[in-house]
Amino acid sequence: MSIINYVNKEVQFKIVYYGAALCGKTTNLAYIHGHITDTNKGELVSLATAADRTLFFDFLPLNALVIKGFRTRFQLYTVPGQVIYNATRQLVLRSVDGVVFVTDSHWDKMQENVESFHNLYDNLVLQGMDMDRIPYVLQYNKRDVPRLAPVHYLEYILNNRPVRVPSYQAVATTGQGVFATLNAISRLLLRKFIRETEETAAAGQVRAPAPAATALSGIAAGTRR
Amino acid sequence: MNPTPVPPLSAADIPEVTANISSPAQRLQSLLADFLDKTQATFSLVIDRGGSILCQQGNLPESTDATILAALAAGSFAATKELAARLGETEFNTLHHQGKNANILVSTVDDDAVLMTVFGPETTVGLVKFYAVGTVHCLATLLKEARTSPDSQIAISKQDFNAIGNIFHQ
Repeated sequence: MSIINYVNKEVQFKIVYYGAALCGKTTNLAYIHGHITDTNKGELVSLATAADRTLFFDFLPLNALVIKGFRTRFQLYTVPGQVIYNATRQLVLRSVDGVVFVTDSHWDKMQENVESFHNLYDNLVLQGMDMDRIPYVLQYNKRDVPRLAPVHYLEYILNNRPVRVPSYQAVATTGQGVFATLNAISRLLLRKFIRETEETAAAGQVRAPAPAATALSGIAAGTRR
Repeated sequence: MNPTPVPPLSAADIPEVTANISSPAQRLQSLLADFLDKTQATFSLVIDRGGSILCQQGNLPESTDATILAALAAGSFAATKELAARLGETEFNTLHHQGKNANILVSTVDDDAVLMTVFGPETTVGLVKFYAVGTVHCLATLLKEARTSPDSQIAISKQDFNAIGNIFHQ
């Protein structure tokens, strides 16, 4: 759920970059941190192993536009991609608002991509969410590698749900497609937030308290999906 | 020298603490200010368990980003909860990190929020824990109220959205 901090007048959105090991999740955040305008940028925090593999998560807070006096903040997280860290991925997904699913475009990585996508689906279900209702986009990363899977094949194996989602080709090391992906998921989240605030206003009532398992938190009135 | 302990807050104390204050946001701020005053702690932060800040009170060094503290504290608390589960506990209600000059106490508020308190050598963990017990109880009550408060509304229209181009730029 998005979180509104009425003391600081902020709306906060949590975006998780998800995907198989070494698909480029951290590289996305590093590129954003290195190239975004200073007014937007927060500090990039990485909880990584000595070998620079993500152990818990990477975290990058971004300030964005002000709407009706409320500053929007987007909090970007990555999950550890390695299979053994599934419990950690579940923790990072808590209260997630939107997902960027990062895919390694190398032919040899197709099985890992699909397994990771199914893992995302399962972990969202565990948290009372599902992929039909959570905004997400696909990023086909590493479009510069040899033995490249064609985009139509990636679409076939990953973007074949009843409602197709936006997908972007990317080379995160050079920044190609990185900001397009970030802007796409951010706009999806804002659009969903606006739709729900309009629905609430039309109903003429405040949002109902959420069930305990996925409840809105604190001073916040979160959007429900 | 440590301050003289005063009995911890209970839910019944909320009206006194917030007598002239109306909105849940202001009452939360007032409650946290009172907590810091009594404990002589430096800073407190109410955090959604997903890592977002709900409200904060006190002063941090300029170089310290509260957003990052919130994300790390929520992650740390979530990991500890998993540890507790493997020992047959629902969760550990408090988490204390002790340093030379800075300490952190993280306490459960409710299913969705935790209270993080940063304090230094001018107070003690015992005193902070003592007041935290009552404060989290009051926080839980106020947070429940805040969820359904008319203040918890923000009106953004499709026209506002259509005026937005790309949100982030290189």
